[in-house]
Amino acid sequence: MTGAALLNITAVSRRRAGRQAVANLTFSLNRGEVLGLLGVNGAGKSTTLSMLAGALAPDSGSILLDGRDFMTRPELARTLIGWLPEAAPLWHELTVHEHLVAFSTLRGSSRKDARTAADTIIARLQLGDLRHRLAGVLSHGQRQRLGLACALVHSPALIILDEPANALDPVQVGELRKLIREKAAAGCGVILSTHVLSEVTAVCDRAVILHEGQLRHDAPLRHDADGHALETTFFSIATGAAAA
Amino acid sequence: MSLTAVTRLELRRLWVRPLAWGLAALTIAWLAWTFTLSLGTFLAIQVKLAASPDAGGFTDYVSIPLLAALVGMSLLVVPLLTMSTLAGERRAGTLPLLVSTGIAPWKLVTGKYLAVLAWLMLWLLVTLAMPLVLAASSTPDWGKLAAATLGTALTLATVAAIGMACSAATSYPAIAAALTLVITLALWAVDRGAQMAGASGGFLQWLSLDTHLHNLQRGLVVSSDLIWFALAIALSLVLATRRLSADRERH
Repeated sequence: MTGAALLNITAVSRRRAGRQAVANLTFSLNRGEVLGLLGVNGAGKSTTLSMLAGALAPDSGSILLDGRDFMTRPELARTLIGWLPEAAPLWHELTVHEHLVAFSTLRGSSRKDARTAADTIIARLQLGDLRHRLAGVLSHGQRQRLGLACALVHSPALIILDEPANALDPVQVGELRKLIREKAAAGCGVILSTHVLSEVTAVCDRAVILHEGQLRHDAPLRHDADGHALETTFFSIATGAAAA
Repeated sequence: MSLTAVTRLELRRLWVRPLAWGLAALTIAWLAWTFTLSLGTFLAIQVKLAASPDAGGFTDYVSIPLLAALVGMSLLVVPLLTMSTLAGERRAGTLPLLVSTGIAPWKLVTGKYLAVLAWLMLWLLVTLAMPLVLAASSTPDWGKLAAATLGTALTLATVAAIGMACSAATSYPAIAAALTLVITLALWAVDRGAQMAGASGGFLQWLSLDTHLHNLQRGLVVSSDLIWFALAIALSLVLATRRLSADRERH
């Protein structure tokens, strides 16, 4: 069940490395909604997510977060947004627990609240065994789970996940899907960027397909439980445009 | 609050990093050796010095040369300490993550700078402890020692600020360290080059770090020197902040 609009993106454009990475992008996300962001490599997914996370400024357009202008007030990201970038960058010399306390305090929590929040997310993501382990010695999958924990530790309203299932085993992927649905049920908006179509059909309410920086498809998935329609649309956009 | 969080995070990272410990151990050992040699020399000539009313004492022959040695070392140590503060974050991909926490760039720069500064002040305190241990059995010139300590602290703070600006300017920590070293050496020696070319005084002399440090090492606390250090620190930190702010626009 989805609620009021949490995010409104209108005519957002951004040039990167001398080319138009994102052009005139417009879509919205409601509270309690899980949106799948699809596209081939170089489609503009990561640029879009970086702009939504506040790490990159759009060249033009507007982003409203919870009804407020995010472009003039990037500090809104502090409490409202949790971002897991691709490859989950971490500080190798810090432990799992230190990461979570650091991210929580950076987001404005007191030390005491940060420790409580870290303990909660460690329990939720079953990171207890890794609590005192340095990030530098974690496996790829463990790093991914820690990155996810860092994105969620401050209970953000908008959760942005870039390839969150990377390097996770099937059990962990199941847990991740459960967690995403749980967050959506609690009223969070979730944007999930992935290459895996089945991932989108399994957890998302709506799919957006980007190609060459432009929005090519934006539709709900409720009548497409098996994902056939999405797959057909995706391949027609990807291959059709490539042929063109 | 977020400034404190950034400082605490950076201090924690410095605390567990072998480079910071290695540098501290090596430099303190070298400074202790320098101190022992200076003390030996002072003890050997102190009877002669006592006969001359204008001759310097323990502070001039032991304490200030020790602080001068610390400043000399800082030209190599500080670039190594600051090189990763922003360039390393950018290279590891953690800088966009920090920026996405909504913390203002000036707070990120200042928070990290304060952490490096805390490490450097601890380094200065440990070094200063060597002559202070002998204070009871010698006659230190407290005023001169305080001025020289202030000069050393301001020099460390200035080199650290330049290091922050260089670290903000690149994605490669090694380039940041090299840039810091080159800029600091240039600032150090700018007036010597001018003197060798036959020019003396004027703007180049004012620009030189050595001019302002030298006054403080002689026990002279002049407001224009303090303003020079304040300007150099402020300018470097503003440049670092501007470069960090531009990251959102550029990348």
